[in-house]
Formats: sequence, structure tokens, C-alpha cells
Amino acid sequence: MPYYESVYIARPDISTAQVDALAENLTSIVGENGGAVTKNEYWGLKNLAYRIKKNRKGHYTMLNINAPAVAISELERNMRINEDVLRYMTVRVDELDENPSVMLTSRGPRDSRDRGRDRDRDGPRDGDRKSVADAEGNAPATETTAAEIVPEIVPEIVPEIVPEKATDAVPEAAAEGNEE
Amino acid sequence: MSRRPFFRRQKSCPFSGPNAPKIDYKDVKLLSRFISERGKIVPRRITAVSSKKQRVLAQAIKRARNLALIPFLIK
Repeated sequence: MPYYESVYIARPDISTAQVDALAENLTSIVGENGGAVTKNEYWGLKNLAYRIKKNRKGHYTMLNINAPAVAISELERNMRINEDVLRYMTVRVDELDENPSVMLTSRGPRDSRDRGRDRDRDGPRDGDRKSVADAEGNAPATETTAAEIVPEIVPEIVPEIVPEKATDAVPEAAAEGNEE
Repeated sequence: MSRRPFFRRQKSCPFSGPNAPKIDYKDVKLLSRFISERGKIVPRRITAVSSKKQRVLAQAIKRARNLALIPFLIK
């Protein structure tokens, strides 16, 4: 049977218990159609990059599925009907990853790294990134690590852009960001 | 700059070779290196990604956008 990864976003105003119940419900739908859910990963209540149906946040869940195609169409049909599901995406993959995905493994370091880069370019998003970190209550801790990490990431990217002709492209890209 | 003019360092694809990162739509940290400040996909003449990997990368970025992991547009 083919392997699938299904990620869906649930409404932010439902409780964690309801998220679990929803996952269980979807798992049983897959089971009834002769498939199996091999992994159920809850990524937590995450900020959406843009608003979906007026929501700014959502509960992300990923299911690793080994099931026939009929089970997937039934699963997607149910997710379309269910009003708690803001969005879903099912992707066929060559193999299922047993280990926790990148979402869960590199949570902390990623945040500080990203913020370090943003500060570098003083992008407009720096402000709201910071407020997110404050809400999580880990701003002081990541602040120090960000400083250490900046030199590590800059050489990776800048040398690609700097050499000769490419220099023309850089101010252009920067100007583009400042338009508004 | 004491650099020779018109000298271009040999670039290599960041996704080729041993221990290259795997392109995955879930890996926001990795994908964010290949989008511009505006949220656009950076052309491969700047990032040096091979054409095969650029196609995979573009697919991954579009998937991540659809799941609201990265924005379509940064104003």
C-alpha cells in the first residue's frame, strides 16, 4: 500500500482534547478503509503565516498513513466536511519517517537562528518575531544564542550573493523589501 | 576590494554531495534560506541550487506556503 503524509490545521479555539478526538476520529476512518496510521504527530498551536478563515493560529497535526487510495479520498472528504479543519494537505511519500519530523526536533534553535538573520537585515518582521518570543517567555535565553549563531549562517549565504555581477541583484532585492 | 575583477568562485549546489540537507516542506528553517525578504523563491543563479533540486525546492516551498508555514507575500 502507498505511504502518505497528511497534515491538517484545526481551528485554534478548540481544546487540545478535541484535537486528540479529531485525530482519533480520522485515524478510525483510515482504519475502516483498510489502512493504518503509523504515526500521529501534534505540532502544537502555531502561528499561521497568513490568516485562514480569519484565524491567526491553528493546531497542526500530521498523520503518517499506510493505506489504499480509497481510504485517503474518504479521509479528505471527511476533512472537507469537518468545520474544525481549516486546511489539510495529503502528500504521497516514498517512505514513512519513523523519527519525529523536523517540526519537533529543532524547535528552539530554529527560532533563535531565524531571529538572528532578521536582525541582520533589519526587516520589518523583526518586531513581531520578538513579541512572539516574549509570549513564549524565552526571549532572554534565545537572545544570547542568536548572537553566537549569526556568524555561522552569514558566510553560508553572503558569499553566494556578493561576487561580482550578482552585486547588482542585491540592492534590487533590498529595495523590493522596502517598497512599502 | 582587492578582488580580481570578473572572478567568480566556483559554486556548488547546497543540496548535492554527502550530508546535504533533505528538502522537506516541513523544514521551515531550511526553506526560509531560499525565499527573498518579500517571500519570493530566490532564483537559482543566486543560490546555486542545481536545476533538479530547484524544482524539488520550489515544490516544497509551495507546499509550505499552502500550509501557512511560510507566507505567500511579506509586505
